[in-house]
Amino acid sequence: MSATNEKAPARVVVVGLASCFGCQLQITNIERHLLDVLGQVDLRYWQLTSSDPMPEEFDVAVIEGAVTTEEAVRTVRELRERAGTVIAIGACAVTAGIPAMAAPGFAERAASVYGDEAPEACGSLRPPAPVSSVIAVDHEVRCCPIDPLDFVDTLQRVLRGSNKAVPTSTLCGECKRNERGCFYGRETLCLGLVTRAGCGARCPDLGRPCNGCAGLSPDANVASARAVAARSGVDPARLDKALELFNTVDPSLASKG
Amino acid sequence: MAVTAISIDHIARIEGHGNVRLVIEDGQVLTCQMEVVEPARLFESMVVGRPFEEVPYVASRICGICSSSHVVTDLRAIEAALGVSVTDRTAALRELLVYGSFLQNHATHLFVFSAPDFLGHRSVFPLADENPALFDRALALKALGNELCTAVGGRSVHPITAVTGGFTHELTAAEYRSLADKMDAMADFAVEAVDLFDGFEVPAIETAGDMLAMVAPGRYPVCDSDTARFVRAGYDFDCSQVEAEVEEYPVGRSAAFLARARRTGSPYLTAALARVNASWGALSQRARYAAAKAGLRPPELNPFMNNLAQAVELVDVLDRCAGLCRRLAEPDGFEGSSEPVAFEVRAGEGVGFTEAPRGALFHRLAIDADGRVARANILTPTAQNVANLEADMRLLAEKLVGEGRSEAAIRLEVEKLVRAYDPCLSCSVH
Repeated sequence: MSATNEKAPARVVVVGLASCFGCQLQITNIERHLLDVLGQVDLRYWQLTSSDPMPEEFDVAVIEGAVTTEEAVRTVRELRERAGTVIAIGACAVTAGIPAMAAPGFAERAASVYGDEAPEACGSLRPPAPVSSVIAVDHEVRCCPIDPLDFVDTLQRVLRGSNKAVPTSTLCGECKRNERGCFYGRETLCLGLVTRAGCGARCPDLGRPCNGCAGLSPDANVASARAVAARSGVDPARLDKALELFNTVDPSLASKG
Repeated sequence: MAVTAISIDHIARIEGHGNVRLVIEDGQVLTCQMEVVEPARLFESMVVGRPFEEVPYVASRICGICSSSHVVTDLRAIEAALGVSVTDRTAALRELLVYGSFLQNHATHLFVFSAPDFLGHRSVFPLADENPALFDRALALKALGNELCTAVGGRSVHPITAVTGGFTHELTAAEYRSLADKMDAMADFAVEAVDLFDGFEVPAIETAGDMLAMVAPGRYPVCDSDTARFVRAGYDFDCSQVEAEVEEYPVGRSAAFLARARRTGSPYLTAALARVNASWGALSQRARYAAAKAGLRPPELNPFMNNLAQAVELVDVLDRCAGLCRRLAEPDGFEGSSEPVAFEVRAGEGVGFTEAPRGALFHRLAIDADGRVARANILTPTAQNVANLEADMRLLAEKLVGEGRSEAAIRLEVEKLVRAYDPCLSCSVH
């Protein structure tokens, strides 16, 4: 969709599925820019901030959260039918993220929390999946939580058009430019070796290894990363375990394994 | 026979997904239910078998708004299980992190979620034109909470730097002083916020339930005491006994478990209002004066006054944060460094307890000898509050029906009550 030739501002809805709401919150956390951003769009529905009802017609659907119920499957299909553009924001929507850690043995896990029968209010539970496994997604804003300025940037691309390419390389390159040294030199596990770049390596810059919230990079060489870990005194099995944090249901993890 | 059914699907301007069902027949409130329909993510099962270090990182994702609280609570649970003691400096930084989430949460709740109800709007945005000074300062206060969380935790949502035993990064003395000055600069507005919410008219109801808050002698604790108090029944318990004192029970209409005190069978409220009732005398002087001026003194049993209690806490938190930041800027302000302390991994079990912005938060963790999680239990403030909220909704509806108020008026007041509880439904289901 391109709104460049249209006079009316793009009509936007923001919808939350299974998530912590942190990515929607991140959008409100750009206080100084919030009205500038909202001034460019016709925000039709944002349940977090307004009691206005969901409209029938809109141009852009922003979806946060993983798909974890049959009801959510219907919701995203409806959104896809009505919206010209779909933006998935945050790890939950993009890779099914942390909720997907519960995907293996999902029914047994639900039973361990709720007993034999989950409350009616839970809806029809299904194993957590990314939005893109149900509908076509036009744009992704990665990480957990999103960097709100990445969201603004993506929205600009949707509204104004742009051929800016999404990075596919691994985080290591970005991290090296921060000149903070490498965790593997300190026998410490870090997922920057195989995680998609784009965040500027914020966590390693603050002394915390990468947990892989941007998801696996298409350029990742997991076998080689295991070898690096082993050489650096880190058990490769720990690398595999840590990769589950954000990639449990990513089919490319299996193919790269 | 006159039957009125009020259904509010997907209540707006709260955190998460919830519905209200109210049926009134011939002036009698027959049904009064809060349905929590937030998707279940099964965090307690998710962390079993994971390395213990991952748990705060994973549990943070229970809720974006309360992420700092979940992280600090889990760190306390891990440290209780492994027998780790942190330095005073680390404890002070954790307090700052929790207070940052208080500022962020209370400012968002009061101005973005709650105030539009009282100012006749459906969202906060019309306020930008109508009262730009209020709008700008409200957002500036919320931004200051984010700035504090970002300064201490590395990010406003899902902190990065807080780990078992300490912090991976710290600010410079100049940065602490600058933060303290910003806290001071916002204090007058926080006092005005107390006056603003004092000016909003609310129905006079009194909750029949109890109130639960963290307590410590002579202080207003948020993350460094193990003692919880049922304020009205008047007894204390150690957080390690939380499951023995609080019963969680399932109801089909809610994906969250509900809760009641085992000793009394009473539902209860845990929130800013419970804290103010429990520790009023230990509020900062400025906060106590503001509260007294607004008529907020213990015992205050009107749940609508939770808004006012949050505004009073804004004043209190700004004063406390300014003091903490100035002390952190001094070379010998706090004993020890915030660098993570060394510890041995061993099998153990512990309960972490903090006051999250919305109330008492408990995490229990059992860790095996290899450092993997054997069992986890999470009790969030909102899960504890839902039963009391339903009871208060019934009280309110009965009162309004008795006064012959219109369906639209009842609907709005019930929504206002739900928002006054500041529910966090993502947390409640987790």
